[in-house]
Amino acid sequence: MADKKRRRADSDSDSASQPFKNLLKSDAQILKILKSVTSSSSSSTSKPLTLADLALSATCREVSDLSLSSVQSTIEALVLQLTHQILSGQGFSFTVPSRSSSNQLYVPELDRIVLKDKSTVRPFSHISSVRKTTITAKILSLVHQLCLKNIHVTKRDLFYTDVKLFQDQVQSDAVLDDVSCILGCTRSSLNVIAAEKGVVVGRLIFSDNGDMIDCTKMGMGGKAIPPNIDRVGDMQSDALFILLVEKDAAYIRLAEDRFYNRFPCIIVTAKGQPDVATRLFLKKMKMELKLPVLALVDSDPYGLKILSVYGCGSKNMSYDSANLTTPDIKWLGIRPSDLDKYKIPEQCRLPMTEQDIKTGKDLLEEDFVKKNPGWVEELNLMVKTKQKAEIQALSSFGFQYLSEVYLPLKLQQQDWL
Amino acid sequence: MESECPTETKKGKSKTPKKAKESILKQKSPAEFFAENKNIAGFDNPGKCLYTTVRELVENALDSAEAISELPVIEITIEEIVKSKFNSMIGLVDRERVDEELYDDYETAKAREKRLAKEARAQEIQAKNAALGKKVKEHAVSKSSKGRGEASFYRVTCRDNGRGMPHDDIPNMFGRVLSGTKYGLKQTRGKFGLGAKMALIWSKMSTGLPIEISSSMRGQNYLSFCRLDIDIHRNIPHIHLHEKRDNKDKWRGAEIQVVIEGNWTTYRSKILHYMRQMAVITPYAQFLFKFVSDAPDKNVTIKFARRTDVMPPVPVETKHHPSSVDILLIKRLIAETSKQNLMQFLQHEFVNIGKPLAERLIGEMGPEFSPKTAVKSLTDQQIVRIHQLFRQAKFDDPSGDCLSPAGEYNLRLGIIKELHPDMVATYSGSAQVFEGHPFIVEAGVSVGGKDVKQGLNIFRFANRIPLLFEQGGDVVTRTALKRISWNNYKINQTQDKIGVFVSIVSTKIPFKGTGKEYIGDDISEIASAVKSAIQQCCIQLKSKIVKKMQAREQQERKRNLSKYIPDATNAVYDVLKEMAKSHASKKKRYEEGDADILRKVSDHLITKETLYEKLTQHVEKVDYEMALEYATQTGVREEPREDIYLESLDDKGNFFDFHSPIFVFRLFL
Repeated sequence: MADKKRRRADSDSDSASQPFKNLLKSDAQILKILKSVTSSSSSSTSKPLTLADLALSATCREVSDLSLSSVQSTIEALVLQLTHQILSGQGFSFTVPSRSSSNQLYVPELDRIVLKDKSTVRPFSHISSVRKTTITAKILSLVHQLCLKNIHVTKRDLFYTDVKLFQDQVQSDAVLDDVSCILGCTRSSLNVIAAEKGVVVGRLIFSDNGDMIDCTKMGMGGKAIPPNIDRVGDMQSDALFILLVEKDAAYIRLAEDRFYNRFPCIIVTAKGQPDVATRLFLKKMKMELKLPVLALVDSDPYGLKILSVYGCGSKNMSYDSANLTTPDIKWLGIRPSDLDKYKIPEQCRLPMTEQDIKTGKDLLEEDFVKKNPGWVEELNLMVKTKQKAEIQALSSFGFQYLSEVYLPLKLQQQDWL
Repeated sequence: MESECPTETKKGKSKTPKKAKESILKQKSPAEFFAENKNIAGFDNPGKCLYTTVRELVENALDSAEAISELPVIEITIEEIVKSKFNSMIGLVDRERVDEELYDDYETAKAREKRLAKEARAQEIQAKNAALGKKVKEHAVSKSSKGRGEASFYRVTCRDNGRGMPHDDIPNMFGRVLSGTKYGLKQTRGKFGLGAKMALIWSKMSTGLPIEISSSMRGQNYLSFCRLDIDIHRNIPHIHLHEKRDNKDKWRGAEIQVVIEGNWTTYRSKILHYMRQMAVITPYAQFLFKFVSDAPDKNVTIKFARRTDVMPPVPVETKHHPSSVDILLIKRLIAETSKQNLMQFLQHEFVNIGKPLAERLIGEMGPEFSPKTAVKSLTDQQIVRIHQLFRQAKFDDPSGDCLSPAGEYNLRLGIIKELHPDMVATYSGSAQVFEGHPFIVEAGVSVGGKDVKQGLNIFRFANRIPLLFEQGGDVVTRTALKRISWNNYKINQTQDKIGVFVSIVSTKIPFKGTGKEYIGDDISEIASAVKSAIQQCCIQLKSKIVKKMQAREQQERKRNLSKYIPDATNAVYDVLKEMAKSHASKKKRYEEGDADILRKVSDHLITKETLYEKLTQHVEKVDYEMALEYATQTGVREEPREDIYLESLDDKGNFFDFHSPIFVFRLFL
């Protein structure tokens, strides 16, 4: 604590170089504001809607968690069907739910993307689909083995079982998602996991495969988010909010400064585009702890895109959006309007490339952006000024400006959308 | 163009007397100027000199034949002359070296010891390898490095079937720099109008030997022979021999022979490339190229045969476009014109100025101008005013009628003839304008072929001559490399053998640099014309390539499908086997149809092979059906036919004609 006092005293002297520092109220006052927000938000959460509630279950497709044995028997039934087809001399084919963007639907009531019911036939005896059909059969047989042996493997393991056939991990990964859709189960129930990518640090205690983990005592790097969510349970926390960070660099800054001790919170990052495990973990935290989720992303179209993947799901995995999406994520920063508000110097802003502007304009057409007028306004501002900035742009006021001024001020003003 | 030479001459003059204490005013002749600055005409070093000499002679020969609309037949011979032969030619006795140490290539005793030891080692290794039965390449041990003094000499002879030269004009045509016939405003091959004169200056500088010219024109019953060199200081011809000889064979054309210092070893490939590319752009000409030396294995003989008898029209001389002239040029036109007043002058000395426009222009010039103003009485200020107005006023673009592009047909034939590509597409753009000069861009793109390296092979032509040097900065190279997305046209930029041919013709080619070897990338009119011409070719190719890919897909469908049968059957069978196991151990119950299959699997009645066979049969059936469908859809479609050119035989010998109602079959005996 003595250390902290000294640092505070020091920083007062250089308030000129850290603008807006004088606006900051005391930590206690900010905490009080936060507490009132948290209590009001936790009381308002209700049971989430489902497709059935909206009478959409007939036209939309959704998968569910299946037990290992039911996955196995579904595969077996499918294989028997294939065998019948082959023996009758008709070759064989799969009927695969289409995951193309034309088959996606944003449902505003659910605030997430769902998959419509269009399917494509993947016949073996056609030159354009023979490869994918063969890979699908191969993946089915591999998953069947996993079911028999009751083990987990990574996507990379799966790829290495037949590198010659798969050629590229992208191909086996894509077919794995197809297989989930065909079987109607989540990807986790196929016993195939992705390598750990996300990390969490802060006021959270949970059990991982029976071991209790205290995320305040995980060192600077934090705890890697376990790839299979079914091992995770018993979540406890005294945090006031969850802080979702896009970038590893900002995460390290906050973790090292022990930001979660000053304002009790849980800090999560997936280091860029989120993987399935991180999304499942965030959802679980939100559901069990009922905390508001605040997102800290870059002020560029990709930052907002990442935010939308957490919130509404990705098109690639929309079949499982019910399990993967976390509703009601607030956009804390860095927002395009912050660039002028916090007087971020010109040399720290970057001009948007033509590709960036195109992505930005495309996002403006997306329903999940349109539903939030605040976001539309911010995005319009970004496309108009043609400027973007990374979280690191704040380092121009000192490396700790983010944790010591920017975030506390944002929290104090409840400046999120 | 010619106007820049005298000005440069003056510049050269001002440089030389710097060292002298009293500066003496010296006059320099144009010939002297070019002798000192021979690099601006492409005579940088002995190798390049040989290349440029060949090039100038070939281009003159082509111009000469085209001027009388005769299909060109050109023979070019380079004969290597060894030093002793050269010495005897000039009447110099070969002298043995007396004071060995005087020479640059003298080998000291120490160096010789070293060399002998090295050679002995090499021999030892070779002997060892031979003993072990290894085959070793015989590498030439004796690499005679040329000393400074060891120059190589070449006799370059070029013979054509062109117009020939008037007997009395020959000395001035070769012995006086900056006197020429190509000084009008038209599309020409020549660079400075220097042509063979530079070769003569170079021969005088390097060997001291004169040039020999034989020529005969149509209707002349004699042959002109002339041996001359040039008096560089006075820029006048120095005639050794000038006589009329018998022309027994009624030969018409010209033969020029010059002996120069050169370097065949380093410029061999450049010269051969030049000949090949010239053959591409002039398929109506026949070239015979020979290299003769004492070593028979070094000799080269290449015949570039004629493939068509369609020649592009002779480019016509045109008048200047008002937006392309400068003050100096206006003054010259005024001095030369036969018209009296301003009105007539404007109408007759420029293109795109009609009577009404001339009246409006004169009205705009100001009160001191009138249509009746005597053109020769215009003051300097008035000329500046005319020039200003020409710069600002709007004129119609000049037409491309005065240009003579190679023609799509000829370009295409040339590419097919020399590269034998799998596919070729050509495109000819319409005339466009840059600074008052019309230009036409033609392009050809080929895929595949003989002697073509993978990736982009770029062939550039300006006014129908190949450009070989300074490829990197050229507008064509840059466009092809950076601005064409080959992938869009199903062409692989690194794997496919792509030939890109771009020919630009204009009354003035905007060359960059002193050597006039490339066209800059900074002229947006030309850059965009080049880009769109190449793209047009690519679009044509794309449909061909797609069709070809479809046809290939047809052929390879069965193979591509069958390739996956083992993987697919293995995957299905693996699951079946596991299921059969659990079925046998009664772990799981199945419906009757399914149980039947599983029983057969455990009894080996259904095996991997069964599935394999069934799937193979299915693939064969599908393949047959699809092939049938493809055939009915596409029908029997053939590529459009192309005219072929058969060279006529000049043999007037014996033959029989077999006549039939539709053809004549001629049998030569």
